[in-house]
Amino acid sequence: MKCIARMMLPLLMAITLLHGVNPLHAQEDSDATPSPEQERKLEWNGNFDVKYTLFHMHESAALYKLQFLVDKPSSSFLTQYRFEPYLNADYRARDLAFYLKTHATYFSDADASVDILEAYGSFNPSFNTTLQAGKRVYNWGKGYAFNPAGFINPVKDPENPELAQAGLLSSNFEYVKSFSSEALQNMSFLFVVMPSSGGASNRFGELKQTELALKTSFLLWDTDIDVMGFYSIQKPKRVGMDIARNLIENLEVHGELTYSANVEKFTIANNVLASSSSSGTSYLFGIRYLHESNTTLIAEYYHNEFGLSESEFEEYNRFLSTHAQSNDPLLIQQTAKLNQSYFRGTNLMKDYLYLKLSQPEPLDLLYFTTSIFTIYNLADKSFLLSATMNYKPVTDIEFILWPTIITGGGNTEYGGKNFRQKVEVWIRVFF
Amino acid sequence: MKTLSAIVMFSLLASSGAAQDANKLLKEVDDNLMPESYEANRKLINEEPNGSKKEFTFYTVKKGKDRIAMLYLFPASEKGRSTLRLGDNMWLYVPSANKPIRITSLQSVVGGVFNNADLMQLEYSVEYDATFAEGTEKEYMLNLKAKNKTVAYDKLKMWITKDKKILRKVEAYSASGMLIKTLEFKEDKNFGGGLTRPSVIETYSPLYKGYRSLMMYQTIKKRQFPDEVFTLTYMNRLNELR
Repeated sequence: MKCIARMMLPLLMAITLLHGVNPLHAQEDSDATPSPEQERKLEWNGNFDVKYTLFHMHESAALYKLQFLVDKPSSSFLTQYRFEPYLNADYRARDLAFYLKTHATYFSDADASVDILEAYGSFNPSFNTTLQAGKRVYNWGKGYAFNPAGFINPVKDPENPELAQAGLLSSNFEYVKSFSSEALQNMSFLFVVMPSSGGASNRFGELKQTELALKTSFLLWDTDIDVMGFYSIQKPKRVGMDIARNLIENLEVHGELTYSANVEKFTIANNVLASSSSSGTSYLFGIRYLHESNTTLIAEYYHNEFGLSESEFEEYNRFLSTHAQSNDPLLIQQTAKLNQSYFRGTNLMKDYLYLKLSQPEPLDLLYFTTSIFTIYNLADKSFLLSATMNYKPVTDIEFILWPTIITGGGNTEYGGKNFRQKVEVWIRVFF
Repeated sequence: MKTLSAIVMFSLLASSGAAQDANKLLKEVDDNLMPESYEANRKLINEEPNGSKKEFTFYTVKKGKDRIAMLYLFPASEKGRSTLRLGDNMWLYVPSANKPIRITSLQSVVGGVFNNADLMQLEYSVEYDATFAEGTEKEYMLNLKAKNKTVAYDKLKMWITKDKKILRKVEAYSASGMLIKTLEFKEDKNFGGGLTRPSVIETYSPLYKGYRSLMMYQTIKKRQFPDEVFTLTYMNRLNELR
């Protein structure tokens, strides 16, 4: 706890000093022109989450063995208990603004961390233009659970797509223009520069490693259309587009289509790590449908061209299992490291189906919202099935019960996860 | 034959004239409710069947006939959310998700009796065609028919005072004729700038037995905004206008 306080304090002091001694939320006098002092505003908000998770672990899974190489638990039922404060601040003075979003995780005094999710300054030279610099989250793409067009997005967890995530150190320029035309109603242009900042041990990056991204957005014939591109000499170059439209008043359709050049793909061949380079197209299409009973359905199909095929995944899984069953601690440790470096992410394969049904106040149960969702791997037929029950009996307090089960054979993606079932209980207080 | 044609022509002209008068009255009602471009602060109170209440406050900006945006100010759990409506298109921005998603007018972001279309109401004359129905000594009554299928309610019945042309009551019906909700306009208040209108809209519905929602207008002020305020890009910046 001291560790979190120590890390947060300088940030909070900096913002408070920046704000000076002005009263918060100065009352606006509608008849008088606000003075520059009155136009300075600082607002705080956030939430405090306490999370308890009960896991039923999958002791025979290779990923379990890799994770618990040392201090193997005596039971298959494990728990986690932590709290996660989110603290945000917005400071505005005329055309200048500063935004800060922080997140901390506390397991114990010895195991706590603070992340700056976003910290960036913003300047509006005119109403149409914005310049921003700092650490900022970009969230491109129309998909709910997956975003193949999210070239500079943080890695999304489809189990919790609305989770706040850490942004990217970058600068950007945005221009937006509205039109009174029936066809083209507005368009915007966003140009992002991501300077190279070197590695963890070296603060110098190479100029030629600067990455660039561009997104142009249109509202054309009542349809949202984005066209985007990403340029880097180290990473694959990408171009893509996304689209969203309401077909009828209660049915929305959306899609993303991207082409990536020279993507390095890692596989296991003959029991060693292998890499190959290829180019190809990934895509997503989905719907959001509201039934008259107030039930919302989200359905999405996602194809990742650079994901592992069924046979490649089996080879990878065999590799993990063989090494995890060896009694060689060094080999197990190396395998765990290789897995973390080259096979990160929650969805490693090619084709997925995401389905979510949500219903506010089912059976007239006040303050409840329930939902059920599945992420189904179309290649190996393994899947995750999860339900959430949100209960908000009092303003700004939320209770969440979130059971999850996974199903699949030992050589499948979900069947090979390190747990079989889990139940999460969250208490969330907003301020 | 000529007489018959003349009668038919006269009837058509008369009904067309009556429709024009009804639509003119509807436009007057709109003008008496809101300036065409404005900013407003509103409080919504949802009363639940068990008697408990939930409050929300919003900052709303509107420009022209079909551009409206709304920022959630309270409670803290909803703060920073915003909704945007451009004609028939609606989007919701949630700060944690950090991008706008398309929503429908029928959905309710805040729960209770009000749906998104109620909260992001455009002028009635933009969405409906009006005809006169039989009123009372003190009130006109209009029947309204939606101009297209994207409008949240297919038909409305509307009661308007004859003296000041102020809206008093609206009943909203589905295409099948089922009563969906009733809105009562109460407590006239002078908002300044020559605008005196009901400050409270009470809403109840046979579909939500025991629920009642109150929309309370705290301030309404004429204000002009650049068009770019009503874009997806601006949804996370609405707070800068306050």
